[in-house]
Amino acid sequence: MPKTPLYEASTQFKNWRYSPGSLAEVRASLNAAAVAVIRNTFEADEPGSSSAVSFLTPDEELLLVRLYVSKITQLCGFFRFPEEVEATAVSYLKRFYLKNTVMDWHPKNVMLTALFLATKTTNNPISLEAYTNNIPKTNASDVLDLEFLVAQSLGFEFAVWHAHRALWGIWLDLQNAPDAPPNRAAAQSEIYDAALRHVRISRLSDAELIYTPSQIALASLSIASSELANEWAESKFLTGSPSLSTLHSTLAAIRTLIESSSRPVDVESVRGVDLRLKLCKNPEKVVGSKAYLAKKAEDERKAEEKRNKKAVDVQKAMAEGDPFGEELAGRLVDYDDDDDDD
Amino acid sequence: MDAVEKANTERQKRWVKDQKVGEGTYAVVYRGREASTNRKVAIKKIKVGQFKDGLDMSAIREVKYLRELKHQNVIELLDVFSSKTNLNLVLEFLDSDLEMIIKDRSLVFLPADIKSWMAMTFRGLEFCHRNWILHRDLKPNNLLIASDGQLKIADFGLARDFADPGYKMTCQVITRWYRPPELLFGSRYYSTAVDVWSVGCIFAELMLRTPYLAGESDMDQLKTIFRALGTPTEQDWPGHTKLPDYVPIGQFPKTPLRDLFTAATADALSLLGQCLIYEPRKRITAKDALTHAYFFALPYPSHPSKLPKCAALLTAAHPLEELDGNTLTGKTNRLKRKLSSPDDAKSRTAVSRRLDFTKPTPGS
Repeated sequence: MPKTPLYEASTQFKNWRYSPGSLAEVRASLNAAAVAVIRNTFEADEPGSSSAVSFLTPDEELLLVRLYVSKITQLCGFFRFPEEVEATAVSYLKRFYLKNTVMDWHPKNVMLTALFLATKTTNNPISLEAYTNNIPKTNASDVLDLEFLVAQSLGFEFAVWHAHRALWGIWLDLQNAPDAPPNRAAAQSEIYDAALRHVRISRLSDAELIYTPSQIALASLSIASSELANEWAESKFLTGSPSLSTLHSTLAAIRTLIESSSRPVDVESVRGVDLRLKLCKNPEKVVGSKAYLAKKAEDERKAEEKRNKKAVDVQKAMAEGDPFGEELAGRLVDYDDDDDDD
Repeated sequence: MDAVEKANTERQKRWVKDQKVGEGTYAVVYRGREASTNRKVAIKKIKVGQFKDGLDMSAIREVKYLRELKHQNVIELLDVFSSKTNLNLVLEFLDSDLEMIIKDRSLVFLPADIKSWMAMTFRGLEFCHRNWILHRDLKPNNLLIASDGQLKIADFGLARDFADPGYKMTCQVITRWYRPPELLFGSRYYSTAVDVWSVGCIFAELMLRTPYLAGESDMDQLKTIFRALGTPTEQDWPGHTKLPDYVPIGQFPKTPLRDLFTAATADALSLLGQCLIYEPRKRITAKDALTHAYFFALPYPSHPSKLPKCAALLTAAHPLEELDGNTLTGKTNRLKRKLSSPDDAKSRTAVSRRLDFTKPTPGS
C-alpha cells in the first residue's frame, strides 16, 4: 500500500488550501454576511440608521489584517520569540479571518490572542502575566477572552507547516549535493539569508494559503539565486519532465505574490479603514452598547429557560419513580454533571 | 450567532454524553456516542476556566498531535468542541489498556500474543516518529486496547515535535520506570531513542508480568537499571559521565538477559537487548525494530482478535475513579488479582527468585 506523503496527511493540506479565486469568494461571502447582520442590528436599533454607514470591503478588511500580520513580527522581535512562533501566529491570524470578519472581531485583539496561543502550540509558552505586562494597554482578558473563539476558528488544528523550515531543508539538501562546492554553507550563506528574507516577506501575502511550504521556499530561493533553485529542482526531477515546467510556472506565480508584498502596508490608508471600522463594526460585539446589552439579555433569558426546564424535568422524574433507580439514570444521564452544556 | 459558534454548536450536537466514567483534577471523562449512529465514543471534558494562562499545555499538545495523526495504532481524535469554559475531546472508545491485561492474573500470554502487542506498539510508534513526534510517556496504561484487540497509543499530553539539534528539551518526561538513563542523567538533547527505551521496558514487562525496572526514586531508578543491565562503561556509552546530572552509581556486573528471561527466544532477547542499549544513538529505531528477525520468526504474531482480553470488561457498570490517561474503566473494576492456577503461582515465585540474581553479589 503506498504511503500518503506526510504533508498530504496534514490538516493544513486537507483544510487550509485555497485557489486565489476561492479565497476571494470566501472573503466576499463572509463580508456580505457580516454587513447584512450588522445592517439589521442598526435598523433594529434605529430604523434608517444603516443607510449612512460605509461598510468595509473585503479588500479593506484584508488590508487591516495585513497590518496586524506585520505587528506580529514587531512583537516577536520584542519578545525574542523563535521564528516558529511568529510564523505560526501569522498563519493563525490569516486562518481566523477566513472564518470571521474584522467587522465582528478587531484584528488587534485577535492578533494578541493568536500570538499567545502560538507560543503554547509551538511549545514556547510564557506566562500570561509576562506577556501582557510587556504590551501596553493590554490586560489578561484582552488575550484570554478570545482564546476559545480563535481555537474554534482554527478548527483546533494547531499544527502548521512553514516555508522557513522547508527552506532549511532545501539548504541542507544543497550542502549534501554530490557536486556541491566545498563548504557551501559558509561560502553561500548570503544566498540562504536572502532567500529567508523573501520567505518572511511571503508571510504578508496569501502564498501559504495557496501553495505548499516547499514551493514557497523554492520560489524564495529562486529570487535569491535562480542557479541554486534550479540545481535543487533538477536533483529532484528528471530534466525535461513535465513536472519541472509546471514547477517553474508555480514558482513564477509565487514570486509575483512575494514581490507585490514587499512594499510596506501604507499606514495612512489603513488608518482611514480603521476609522471607518469604528462606525461600522458589529454593535453586538461592542461591550456596553445597546445592542450588546440586548443580546446579553436574550442569551441570559434562554439560559434561564433551559435551567427551568431542567429543574422541571428532574422534579417530574422524582415524582414518577424512585429517584435512585434505573429509570432516572436512564432519562437524566447528566444529573451529576457540573455543566453547563448538555 | 457567528458562523464559527454555529459550527461549534453543530459539532456539539453530534455527540451525546451518556455516563461519567472518570474524573481527575483537570478532566472528566464520559462514555458517550455519536447521536446519528450510536457509535460508542469517549468524551474527555477538560475544564479550562481554572487555568490562569488559558488553554493548558497538555490539552494543547494532545489536540495538536492527535488532530494530525491517523493510524490504526494511534488513538483517534474524532472531534473537538468547546462548551462555555470547557474543551471537549471526542475520542474513539477503548475499553481497556495493556496494564490491566498484564495485571490480570487469569490471563495467560502466549509468546505470539506478546509479539502481536509489540508489533502494534512499534507500528504506532514508528508512525509518530515518522511524523516527527516524540511521545515521551509510553507505559502499559497508555497503550489502550480496542474491543477488536487493536492496540492504540494514547495520551499525547507530554508529546512534542523533535527539536532541532542543539535545541534544549526538558528531561522531566516519561514515567520513571520507563524513563531511559540519558534522561535520568539530565540530558536536554535527546531523540526518538527515549521512546524506544520505554517500549523495551514494556516488552520486558509483558514477559515478566511485573514492571521490569521499578525504581523507587529517580536515583534508585538508575541503580535499578544498572543492577539489571550492568553499569555502563565509557566504551558502552561514550560521554555519559559528562551529562549534567551524572553521578557514579556503583559498579554492577552485566548479567545476560537470558538469566532472567528464561523462556524467551534468542530473537526476542536480541530485540529486547537492542531497545535497552545504553548509547541512545545505537539503540534500535522503531522502523528497524519492525523489520527485526523477531517479527518474522515463528510463532507469528497472534491476530488482534485472538489476544487475551480482560473478562471483567464484559460487566457493564464502571464505578467512578481518579482518571489517569484516557482509559475508561476503573482499576476497582478489574478482576481480582487472584492466582488462577498453581502454575501461575510457581512462575511468579520463579520470577521473583530470578530477579534476585540481578542484585549485586556481596563483594562484586
